Amino acid sequence: MFKELKIIGKPTPKHDAHIRVTGKAVYGHDIVLPGMLYGAILRTEHPSAEFTIDISAAKKIPGVVCIITADDIDTNNISYKRDHPILKKGEVNCIRDEIAAIAAETKEIAQQALKLIKVKYKIRKGIYGPFEALKEDAPQINKFISGKFQNKNIAETFHYEHGNLEEEKKKSAAIVKRRFTLPRMTHACMGTSNITASYNKTDGKLLLYSSTQVPFLYQRDMAHALKMNPSDIRIIQPVIGGGFGSKLDMYPFEPICALLSMKTGRPVQIIYSREEEFIASPTRQPMIIDLTAGVDKKGNFTFREINIVKDNGAYTSWGATTPFVIMQAFSSLYKVGACMFDATAVYTNNVFAGSFRGYGNPQATFALERMIDLLAEEIGMDKAEIRLLNANEKGETTGQGLHYETCGHKECLETVITKSKLKTQKSEVSKHSSKKSTQKRFVSGIGYASMLHVGGGAKIYRSDGCGTTLKIDPYGYCTIITGSNEIGQGSETVLAMIASEELGIDLKKIKVINTDTDIKPWDVGVHASRTSFVAGNSLLGAIKILKEKLNKKANELLKTSDEEFEYENGFIKSSISGNSIALDKVVREMHFSHPNELAIASYFYEPSSQVQNKEYKGNVSGTYAFASQAIEVEVDTYTGNVSVKNVWVAQDVGKVLNPLLLDGQIHGGILQGMGYALSEELLMKDGKILNPNFHNYKMLTASDIPEIDFFPIETNDKQGPYGAKGVGEAPLIPTAAAIANAVCNALDIDIIELPITPEKVLKAIHKNI
Amino acid sequence: MSFEIINPTTTKELLSVVKNLKRKKFRFGAGCTDLLLELRKKPEENLTVINITQVKDAVFTGIKKTSKGLTIGSRVTAHNIVMNEEIKRNFPVLHEAALNLASTQIRQVATVGGNLCTASPSGDIACALMTLGANCEIINENGRRRRIPIHDFHTGVRATALKRGELLYSISIRGNEKNKKRIFSRFIKIGTRKSMECSVVSLAYHIQTDIKGKIIHAGIAIGSSAPTIRSTDSACKFLAGKNIFEISENEKKEFAEKVVGYASPISDIRATAWYRKEVLYNISKGIFEDILSNEE
Ligand SMILES: Cc1cc2nc3c(=O)[nH]c(=O)nc-3n(C[C@H](O)[C@H](O)[C@H](O)COP(=O)(O)OP(=O)(O)OC[C@H]3O[C@@H](n4cnc5c(N)ncnc54)[C@H](O)[C@@H]3O)c2cc1C
Repeated sequence: MFKELKIIGKPTPKHDAHIRVTGKAVYGHDIVLPGMLYGAILRTEHPSAEFTIDISAAKKIPGVVCIITADDIDTNNISYKRDHPILKKGEVNCIRDEIAAIAAETKEIAQQALKLIKVKYKIRKGIYGPFEALKEDAPQINKFISGKFQNKNIAETFHYEHGNLEEEKKKSAAIVKRRFTLPRMTHACMGTSNITASYNKTDGKLLLYSSTQVPFLYQRDMAHALKMNPSDIRIIQPVIGGGFGSKLDMYPFEPICALLSMKTGRPVQIIYSREEEFIASPTRQPMIIDLTAGVDKKGNFTFREINIVKDNGAYTSWGATTPFVIMQAFSSLYKVGACMFDATAVYTNNVFAGSFRGYGNPQATFALERMIDLLAEEIGMDKAEIRLLNANEKGETTGQGLHYETCGHKECLETVITKSKLKTQKSEVSKHSSKKSTQKRFVSGIGYASMLHVGGGAKIYRSDGCGTTLKIDPYGYCTIITGSNEIGQGSETVLAMIASEELGIDLKKIKVINTDTDIKPWDVGVHASRTSFVAGNSLLGAIKILKEKLNKKANELLKTSDEEFEYENGFIKSSISGNSIALDKVVREMHFSHPNELAIASYFYEPSSQVQNKEYKGNVSGTYAFASQAIEVEVDTYTGNVSVKNVWVAQDVGKVLNPLLLDGQIHGGILQGMGYALSEELLMKDGKILNPNFHNYKMLTASDIPEIDFFPIETNDKQGPYGAKGVGEAPLIPTAAAIANAVCNALDIDIIELPITPEKVLKAIHKNI
Repeated sequence: MSFEIINPTTTKELLSVVKNLKRKKFRFGAGCTDLLLELRKKPEENLTVINITQVKDAVFTGIKKTSKGLTIGSRVTAHNIVMNEEIKRNFPVLHEAALNLASTQIRQVATVGGNLCTASPSGDIACALMTLGANCEIINENGRRRRIPIHDFHTGVRATALKRGELLYSISIRGNEKNKKRIFSRFIKIGTRKSMECSVVSLAYHIQTDIKGKIIHAGIAIGSSAPTIRSTDSACKFLAGKNIFEISENEKKEFAEKVVGYASPISDIRATAWYRKEVLYNISKGIFEDILSNEE
């Protein structure tokens, strides 16, 4: 069915690799505009307090151009719940809270002036745990919500169910219950948060250089916050130093920067220091998952009952909606008869979480896959076998209404099980022959985990679409103007590859324009592993239209009447006569001869997915991605250190578009997953962050990368471009679960909490003795 | 953070700079991997940093074999230590300590002198040097030199025996025993990640034995377990005369208890005192298992 592909599927370096590695890429941090001022934000010293502020001394410093507090601005609250004031007035509720902002001639002056702002705090006790916040006598933390929930500190709730829970419970031969606790992990992007705002007082237009992942939603949110017309705001995205979900929400520093520019009439830039990045940028949602699950005596999963309490922090971000994804894992990963799901996001005086690669799925998968091991142990079944028995299948429609047109779950599982067994059996032999005496100290274990994630976008807005405008110039160069954006994931490269494949134009002659909301057509943004899928399909749609125009002209020029032409090496070739004509020539003829038409086409692609109903049922994505990982660890029982030895990954990617970039996603994802499993946690005490630096926030490094064997599984989904599915989030999702299962397998302990730090392991070993 | 910086290029110039600045606020800066962090946390006004990395002085910047052993200039970097074959062969504990310090980039600039003078309980190079019974050569602004044993160099948390106007010039270590036939020498660093890690606990050992394994000399030191790096003398003495391949289970335990006896760790966000002691005990016992398993 598929013709032979020339570029798609071949390792192709990133389109922007050369500028990135030579330091020529222009990040937000590199932007300097004429007359630009430097902005700085004063944050509270206490997570819960009332305060008064005096800026008079700071104002007197030469070089300070503007200082704003809540009293100086007329704005709307931000966040999707509109529960977050941009500058806080009279009271603060978390350690990130912005209480004043300065624009000054230099960074140093801005910092100096910050210190001269006098703030008097009346410290309050504060609430730092969600269960405490749910108590009757707890004070209301966020005063800006409508109060539609029973409890004053509830920010959001989700309820989902399918199947007959009681009946499935009766069928169960074993029922296991556990409480799983998940930590705060932060994105730690290499490029710290930044924005440059330039307001033009003469025409009332605002230009923002921003590293948002979702420029069009951002434009709308910014307009709402500043009480402006969205179209008067132009967003330009410079090169972005890491997203991973952190730039899905708009945060106060962004409208603050815009306000400083509006007040001064000069461009203003705000760049976070690394410490500020740790303190003031979002985290993965910390949560407590109570999971009860059952299995019948043959090993079939019967039911899952889930109750989740999420620490929402003081304000609501998109992170509060992670249950959309979490419930998918519980309802639809492996077949399960019944599912009853409840999730509650609770306000506390902690920092608020945001969205993070996997969007709740790593948390869900950790709980679910740990539970599968526990259930298998309970009925004495092999841990590989129980997974294979319950694995999802092609053609399945799950209780939640997700339809698996293609499904590589079983193949993924079989692959990692077989490959890992081969290797571990071999190493078992060599271990016995040598190093006998150290065997007691170091013990190995193996763990499995799978994951399910949307692979064809996620229709959580009215549209999950993406627009493309495509043009070919009279010299045969192609410009793709796409709604989608690049945050380092490599979507530009994949789009250029698709255009090159279809139009026979050399990659070097393809430009991707994707950074300017004044130019590019609409798109939801980068999230849900959707870009290659949605933008790829959109581009293919535009190519089809453009080719019709080009074909018509080619027929005219070649005096043929072909339906199909071959596009190769800059030529359009008739498949009947074999005659060919240069592509650039065809374009020139289109432009310059009658009826003088542009070689340009536009297309808007909307995936076939549905918006789910009120019960969260419906086929929310164009297609679904599956992956399995088998991970071998070695635990040092003297120190509790867990060393990840081998990772086998099989992922249903639909179709490999670019193996090089795919490998990058796999390696990066696994290391991020390992950090989640073993070492990364933003530590908090009474609302304050204890480790706002890389020294004590233990992100893993290149030296910690284990052996990774990756096996792409190609299921060729007809919805995807060339059969491809989304791949970006998947590699991280099952990693922590597989590692936890491996450690439990090695030590015979029960891990219900992340990260699995050496100290926790050593304590667990002690309890076991 | 802002400061003046002076870059002397000869020892004479260096000493006269120190003399001139003696009544003012100044600090020495070598790799500045500790200094800059400290100044960022606690900025000082009107400070001058004397950059000592441009000083051309063979002793100060070199590693030299002497009749008695080895002299290591205090300006020698961790990278220089890693690359030195003599050290790798005869003092693996020092080689490993330098090799596992931070990352390739930091090792290019971080110096031996900085590691000692910063006087952190988690200084890896300092901990390794402790097992080698090193001596510190100190020089003052008048060019007067004095030597003190490394045991006396660290006087408390982040405090050294250096007086105002003095700087650490070089470190000398004794060669291995003439009649020794074998060395068992390692630096064990415990932390969460493999690079860019500051020891949660460290244990350095340099044990010399005769051909049969009888212990002639043992140097053992612990890091991140007390306000300063500690040499565990009673544990060393305990080993003297025993055969390293025939340490009984009970002796291992007794030895480990003696090592832990030198520890008075704190609980901080990186680990609890319980964890530090527990691990120290385990890895101390583990020394002999390591040695045996490497024999096989
Ligand atoms: C990311 C990172 C990771 C690190 N990892 C490790 C690690 O794994 N293990 C470890 O042990 N350390 C580690 N460190 C700490 C540091 O790198 C070492 O202590 C290093 O050896 C310090 O050397 P320096 O030349 O940079 O010292 P500097 O910062 O230049 O100086 C440190 C102190 O010593 C004084 N000083 C320097 N030289 C002399 C001298 N000759 N005479 C008198 N005073 C002097 C300075 O005035 C200053 O007070 C790390 C640091 C960083 C930033």
